[in-house]
Amino acid sequence: MANQTGRTSQAQDRLSQVSNHLSGGASKQGKASVLEKHPDDIVVTCALRTAITKGGKGQFKDTHAADLLHGAFKALIQRSGIDPKLVEDIAVGAVLAPGGGATEFRAAALAAGFPTTTAVKALNRQCSSGLQAVVDIANAIKSGMIDVGIGAGAESMSQNYGPQAVSEFSPLLEAHKEAANCKVPMGVLSEKMAKEKGIPRSEQDKFAAASFQKAVEAQKNGLFDEEIAPLTVKWTDPKTDEEKEITVSKDDGVRAGITAESLSKIRPAFSKDGSIHAGNASQISDGAAAVLLMKRSTAQRLGQTIVGKFVQASVVGVPPLLMGVGPAAAIPVVLEKTGLNKDDVDIYEINEAFASQCLYCIHELGLDVKKVNPKGGAIAFGHPLGVTGARQVSTLFTELKRTKQQIGVTSMCIGTGMGMAAVWVAE
Amino acid sequence: MLEYRTQGYNGYSIKYSPFFDSRIAVAAAANFGLVGNGRLYILGLTAEGIVAEKWFDTQDSLFDTTWSESHENQLLAACGDGSIKLFDITLSEFPIQSWQEHAREVFAVHWNLVAKDTFLSSSWDGTIKIWNPNAGASLTTLPTHSCTYSAQFSPHSPSILSSVSSDSHLRVFDLRTPASASNHLTMNIPIHTPPKPRIGAVAPVGIPPSEALTHDWNKYRDTIVATAGVDRMIRTFDIRMPNVGPIAILPGHEYAVRRVTWSPHLSDILLSASYDMTCRVWTDGSAMGVGQEKQQNMLPQDAMVHGGGKEMGRMGRHTEFVTGVDWCLFGAEGWCASTGWDERVLVWDCRAVMQ
Repeated sequence: MANQTGRTSQAQDRLSQVSNHLSGGASKQGKASVLEKHPDDIVVTCALRTAITKGGKGQFKDTHAADLLHGAFKALIQRSGIDPKLVEDIAVGAVLAPGGGATEFRAAALAAGFPTTTAVKALNRQCSSGLQAVVDIANAIKSGMIDVGIGAGAESMSQNYGPQAVSEFSPLLEAHKEAANCKVPMGVLSEKMAKEKGIPRSEQDKFAAASFQKAVEAQKNGLFDEEIAPLTVKWTDPKTDEEKEITVSKDDGVRAGITAESLSKIRPAFSKDGSIHAGNASQISDGAAAVLLMKRSTAQRLGQTIVGKFVQASVVGVPPLLMGVGPAAAIPVVLEKTGLNKDDVDIYEINEAFASQCLYCIHELGLDVKKVNPKGGAIAFGHPLGVTGARQVSTLFTELKRTKQQIGVTSMCIGTGMGMAAVWVAE
Repeated sequence: MLEYRTQGYNGYSIKYSPFFDSRIAVAAAANFGLVGNGRLYILGLTAEGIVAEKWFDTQDSLFDTTWSESHENQLLAACGDGSIKLFDITLSEFPIQSWQEHAREVFAVHWNLVAKDTFLSSSWDGTIKIWNPNAGASLTTLPTHSCTYSAQFSPHSPSILSSVSSDSHLRVFDLRTPASASNHLTMNIPIHTPPKPRIGAVAPVGIPPSEALTHDWNKYRDTIVATAGVDRMIRTFDIRMPNVGPIAILPGHEYAVRRVTWSPHLSDILLSASYDMTCRVWTDGSAMGVGQEKQQNMLPQDAMVHGGGKEMGRMGRHTEFVTGVDWCLFGAEGWCASTGWDERVLVWDCRAVMQ
């Protein structure tokens, strides 16, 4: 008997030795391996967003961030057909909400139909909060902590944007040079960076106008219709003060007829001789987005349609004053981790915080401009801070699917000097 | 291409006889070598194809074999139960000698090509042992402290031997040095060392260590050794320059490389067998003219390609892991034989697959 036990464990040893030969090795990377399908892949089975509307005067101006999130949740449950009981955790990225939004987002999940057993957290990594939320859920699934989760983002800049969003620095922080730099306003530091890196206003305006033109074209052809979940909200008409019920299904920040020429007439916003103005920076907006994630094996068991998979994410720090170079720092890292070449990527969704920083990153990485933001970006339809990262996932997957392409990267710069990037594969 | 089916047994190693161009030995194991019997096939290449002249069955899996350099009818088998068995093909059924010293699976046996009265074995137990076929116990035990998949005598010197093991190191032992504390170990080269940076190429980043599964001494250049393993790269090292890292890197296999062997006819040609179900022919770029063009226009094609070597062709007829491949020492300079987990032995001419 003892002898037999010995033989069994020996066979086990030999088997694990051979399997180590197959699974080991540094070169299990590159396009071919990224495109492989495995049961333990983290897949997206539904990704959607609300429309993104203008802060202060748009169609969501009277809607709370949590209500936008509630709308995104309800649409996600309905579209994916997922049993809400199976969702174990929800992470919501939000930047401006007081207290991070932790309380009202949990409440929004309950109101949307998730049972009390579904956990909710709010998180804040500035402009990448939405992506961080999705990545956190993906990693929790990968590690086995949960099986099914939702990464989301919600922001009402109409209601929460303003000086109260940043707290005062202590004398200790103010005394430290790099620490104090974390407080320099975005516009001011981007202006400085544009000057330092030599990105002329004409280039920025051209890039911004292209963003508008691409978004107008995409909107006209209905390319956003699939990713946007229409949402019915109450809205007060500023002219008549009359409260109406409206259904919002289109980004209202997208303006037709914008050219580099028309943008060149706008006055710079941050300094007299500056290059940055309202037309070549991201818009202040409201919105919400949600992404449903699980393992491929789980999706197959539940009969969920797989939209694509999450491959890998990266996050890096950069000097606070060079906040805008974040994508140029984070994208090479995620490509290196996955063994992908920059040309293997079919679409880059790089957040357009400012035309200047986005252009700088495109040049620095040597990307093909045609591959970047094919449906326009935040300059055209807005950058609701905590939403953008989750919003890019639905924007990317619908475009990859439509153009029958596969590999995409989403990335953004992050206030206080960071960059984040993630690789996705559409299926 | 000639074919033979090792019905019910999955091949692990194949060796041409150094005495006859028509005789091949195959070490094989039932149930993929996980549990069960082993079988040593003696195959003959005849006008009617490949025929089994004889086979020997063993209690445990066989992982390697080597022909005696001094006796044309004798050969060794490396056994899963830790034993090494010497068979005589003029006799039937039983080995004429069996040595039981290794505590775990023996993965390699190799006969000394210069001093033909010794052979060596290496094992999962982290040791290499040197033996004399006339002695009942091993002559020397050399520790490697890690699973040693491959060990070989240098074909140029009777007292130099080498090994690669799961700790990603190429070790060279010289039996002429005093045993003392280092146990004859004269060189311990980390295989995963990146190559030295050069102009026009991206500086190599750190490469993690990975299990080395096979290596072979070049038959013409007496200081050149090729290694390969789990990280899918074939590397060549010059043991005169152990600190400069690999002198050639050949990426291409899609899974771990199980066997590499230098051509007995050409100093720059290598043959490899891999878990990716292919055998590939390579030049390491050391022959005149090869790789010149690429060096000149400095095009960084694959960041890992180093030394101007390249794949020259591949044989993809195996339908499972290829575990063994060997060159025929005689006749035209391209004949070789391979075996794998698909229970097949293929004898083929690698000139037919070269581009």
